Amino acid sequence: MMTIIGMTWKELLRKRVLLLTFFMTLVFLLAFWFVADTLGERLGRGEPADPTSMSHLIEVYQIGAITLSLGFFFGAFVIAFLSIFSSFSTVAGEAEQGVLQAMLPRPLARWRWYMGRWIGYVSLGAGYAAFLFIAILLITKIHSSTPGDFVSLLKSFLLFASVVPMLVSVSMLGSCVFSAIGNGVFMTMLFGAGWLGGMIEKVTSTMQLENNTTLKPLHLIAGLMSLAMPADSIQQRMLAEMFSLAELQSLVRINNLGPLGLGEIPSNAFLIYAACYTAAALAAGLLLFRRKDF
Amino acid sequence: MKMNTPVIEAQGLSKDYGNGRGCRGITLSIGTGEAFGFLGPNGAGKSTFVKMLVGLIRPTGGQASIMGHTIGTLEARRHFGYLPELYRYQEWLSGEEVLELHAKLCGLDRTAAKKRIRELLDQVGIGLRGRDRVKHYSKGMQQRLELACALLNDPQLVFLDEPSSALDPIGRMEVRQLLQQLRRQGKTIFLNSHLLEDVELLCDRVALLNNGQILHTGTVAEVLQEKTRWHLRVGGFTPFVLPWLTQMTGIPIGIAADMPLPPYSDAVWLEAELTDDEQAGWLNSLIVEQGMTLYEVKKSKTRLDEWFKNTLSGLSHRGERA
Repeated sequence: MMTIIGMTWKELLRKRVLLLTFFMTLVFLLAFWFVADTLGERLGRGEPADPTSMSHLIEVYQIGAITLSLGFFFGAFVIAFLSIFSSFSTVAGEAEQGVLQAMLPRPLARWRWYMGRWIGYVSLGAGYAAFLFIAILLITKIHSSTPGDFVSLLKSFLLFASVVPMLVSVSMLGSCVFSAIGNGVFMTMLFGAGWLGGMIEKVTSTMQLENNTTLKPLHLIAGLMSLAMPADSIQQRMLAEMFSLAELQSLVRINNLGPLGLGEIPSNAFLIYAACYTAAALAAGLLLFRRKDF
Repeated sequence: MKMNTPVIEAQGLSKDYGNGRGCRGITLSIGTGEAFGFLGPNGAGKSTFVKMLVGLIRPTGGQASIMGHTIGTLEARRHFGYLPELYRYQEWLSGEEVLELHAKLCGLDRTAAKKRIRELLDQVGIGLRGRDRVKHYSKGMQQRLELACALLNDPQLVFLDEPSSALDPIGRMEVRQLLQQLRRQGKTIFLNSHLLEDVELLCDRVALLNNGQILHTGTVAEVLQEKTRWHLRVGGFTPFVLPWLTQMTGIPIGIAADMPLPPYSDAVWLEAELTDDEQAGWLNSLIVEQGMTLYEVKKSKTRLDEWFKNTLSGLSHRGERA
């Protein structure tokens, strides 16, 4: 399996997927630096406040949270698309080209090939997620503030990176069923649906839903979309963990930032659902791949 | 020909795609050191059968084994090399790296693999170009690389699905020599090819597949030892002579409608399969006796391609559902 993992890493390096991703990431981080700088300048304006006062602390926290939300709004997209586009043609594309026909008759169990590819994509995606996570945090820390609780940061990183195995699992499953192009379209639309569901949820959650029954069907559709693709909801939970919203919700208002807000924070049950979703996609992919004719 | 222990044993092996394609009830036994030619028109099911043997396709019926191991198992896959019909290697790797990757998959020792890779690259005519990326290879170069890959683990059995389809005449000759060398080494070769000349030169036995079923199996010698075909250009021919000639000689004689005739000629080409020259002489004298003119006599030995055409003549081979 290590041979296949190594081959996957080499592929992503040789095809310059990582090089391009890192180059574009640098461009983004540069832009993000200026955004964080501009937002951070707000702290220096107006009357000098007592740095220990509650209002100042809340302002620092809010500006940090907004900056981080912006950063991770983009980061989530990059991680998602890197995961999808690196793996969407794994099975179908290689079978269409004839690469698999030369590899699979070798004395290597099919599940090892599949898991090798999966681990290869996930490890690189997670490594990149770690790099992006740390970079966004560092830039935000320089210009405003970031949450200092290590446990919260660790939890939020794990949630941030958990989107990688989820998307790679679904993408590889799709590539066992659809053609390479078909799977690319399917995955983009599925991710788009999950993202739209998250957006609808964020918007509707700022609209006093209890008093407006007409929004309930919309909320339901958003929920179904999130179930079909939980990636965006996981990102919301990631931000909630990072900002320790469970404890601070009564003090700060970062739920109503429109598309950058958090909406309704997904529950632990939803996280279990997302984990099962990932495991089921991986298991189904493995099963289909083992039985597939080439 | 050494056909002691069966290397490939198939009993009613079938793959039914539900659209009339695939293959049905293939029963074959191929012995150690045998070179076996698997022939058939396009879409006959040849590649499907090979893919079942190498574990790329799951059979829907029957069973088969390679060196005593059920097809598709890891143990069975350790014993062969395979050159697929439609293939491509990772373009982002060099030829050497492709072979290194496959050597790892075969579990070859690193040092031994390096030495073997060097030897094979020279043997198939890639040489130092093995350091170039595969994306810079021509189709012929890729086919040579594929051949090196199939021989990498020094397998007892080699499946070759159209091994020289993309090669120029020199490349084809080199591949033919390489395959003959493998034969001398006692390797078992399963050759799936449309280049019947190669099959004729290399193989001990052949099977002809049509619409997923074996029509004929036999040694190449048996196939080619069919009676020699004679063609006789006869003038003043009248059709009622034909049954008389057949009755007199006891040999089926027909009219060869596809043979070319000079313009405005009233002659016809008669066709008969005769065992020896005496029979031909007797037939000639009977024709002359009947007052016909014998313009020309041609003797042609049946080649594999002719046998192929004759056997499939009049049969549908498009794999359509009945």
